[in-house]
Amino acid sequence: MAKATASYTDDEFVAAIRRGDDRALAQLYRLHLPMVSHYVLQNSGTEDEAKDVYQEGIMVFYEKVRDGSLELSCQIKTYLYAVCRRLWLKRLTEKTRFGGRLDDHEPYLETGAEADLLEAEERDRRFATMGEALERLGEPCRSLLEGFYLLDKSMQQLTADFGYTNADNAKNQKYKCLVRLKKLFFTHYKEEESF
Amino acid sequence: MMTEADYYALFEAYQHGELAAPARTDLERRLSSDPVLAQRYADFADLTSTLSSYGQRLSTRRKLRAIQADLDAEQAVKLTVDDEVLETGNPQMPQLHISRTEQKLREFWHGHRATMMVAASVAVLAVFTTLLGLEWWKARQQPTQYGYTVLRRDVDRIKRTQRVMNKAINQIGALPAAINPGKFSGTGFALTSDGYIVTSYHVIQGADSLLIEGRDRQRYRAEPVFSDVAHDLAILRIKDRNFSGFGRLPYSFKRGTAELGEKIYTLGYPREDQVYNDGSLSARTGFEGDSAFYQISIPVNPGNSGGPLLDDRGNLIGIISGRQMDVQSAAFATKSSYLMKLVDSLSSMNSVQPYNLPRTNQLAGSSRPQQIRKLQDYVFVVKVYE
Repeated sequence: MAKATASYTDDEFVAAIRRGDDRALAQLYRLHLPMVSHYVLQNSGTEDEAKDVYQEGIMVFYEKVRDGSLELSCQIKTYLYAVCRRLWLKRLTEKTRFGGRLDDHEPYLETGAEADLLEAEERDRRFATMGEALERLGEPCRSLLEGFYLLDKSMQQLTADFGYTNADNAKNQKYKCLVRLKKLFFTHYKEEESF
Repeated sequence: MMTEADYYALFEAYQHGELAAPARTDLERRLSSDPVLAQRYADFADLTSTLSSYGQRLSTRRKLRAIQADLDAEQAVKLTVDDEVLETGNPQMPQLHISRTEQKLREFWHGHRATMMVAASVAVLAVFTTLLGLEWWKARQQPTQYGYTVLRRDVDRIKRTQRVMNKAINQIGALPAAINPGKFSGTGFALTSDGYIVTSYHVIQGADSLLIEGRDRQRYRAEPVFSDVAHDLAILRIKDRNFSGFGRLPYSFKRGTAELGEKIYTLGYPREDQVYNDGSLSARTGFEGDSAFYQISIPVNPGNSGGPLLDDRGNLIGIISGRQMDVQSAAFATKSSYLMKLVDSLSSMNSVQPYNLPRTNQLAGSSRPQQIRKLQDYVFVVKVYE
């Protein structure tokens, strides 16, 4: 209590994270980590697995918040618990043919986390495909697109980095790369969808 | 003709609001009227938005990793300020400080708990099944003779003595039941009227001195003359000076083989008094097919060894030797023909004191009690001192 760091309420957390306040995110992160890691450790997981699961769970929450599509019907804590619980269950099922039941130390509530998780899974798949498509794109297209879209570099900087004579050349190259990426991405994505 | 890349340039400019008003309205009109172009635009928008959110995802992940790294670092230097956690109303999880080995063990136990439980229960189950199965199997193997558990104590005692007899058959064991330690007894009977006595070899085995005692409590000292280990026979001679002979023997010795099913009987000293038992001849061979023995169905007890076996007409047909432990009332007796062969070979070798075997049979035709009355004075206890 002596600490100067402002303590956030749930609503304040959501608002701050939506604004892009990284300190709020960090605080939220450390606030609920013990709960999830305790839960995972209780259910035959290791410390590292607990961290992985927790990061994934925070990611789901974070993206929903940034999206502005989060509808919290309960505490953030409960939401995170529900999400991480699902994620850990999934992981256990993948790891072994896990047939046992999980030891819950909080009643599992209907938090809407299930639906959010489905959405997140879909997004994960999309991102995975994108990552793969980028891998297959080859240089210099990959670096160019990554520089522009992932690292938020300006066209001028990229022009200098890649040694193009002027920004228009770089832009044209970028568009060509986009076209190739589009082909790779969509053929792949559609293929996977048809499964 | 515009290439796809050209369209992308146009779309990007449109998204960023860099198009001039007439060009923008023109594009919007074409988008609404041309489905191919609309699809192309949708793909472009999809692609770029996915790309940028993918970028965001990566940066978020980096952020979270950094936070976690910070936390780990803090924990490593133990700088975690507890009240910061308390402030946010988070229940503190109990922290256990455990050693590395214990940590490993705990993890292992967590991971393999279920498997180990199953393995342990299978093991326990297997052990008990095996034990019970063996017990059951053993119970099945028990001869029906031991059906009554109430009898078991007795049976155990009998078994012990039977074991002794069994050993005796194989000529390795000690002697039948002793009255007091160091002293054994068996039965013997007169071979000739002038002091030769027949008994079983195992009765006198290891003897230092022998005492012959008749029904009338008359005692004679005796010495072994010859022993036939293989046929469990021994011939003794009374060496007392005041011994004057038994008188005429009432029975004769059969040289041939007796018939199956013949009524037979014996007199012996399984206890301090003479005991009569009868039965019939049940087989022409003895223990494990030994052709020197008969199998007889007379209930015999320790102490009967060396006793005479007579048939209905008073012919001596055998010498009681032992019985089989695990078969009901199977006793064995040496065939008299082997005794005769032994006597014949002895008399041809040694003429110091000839063997005057009885030739006539005074028992034939008389009733069983009369036969026994005549017989009883020629059956003795053989007492053995070691």
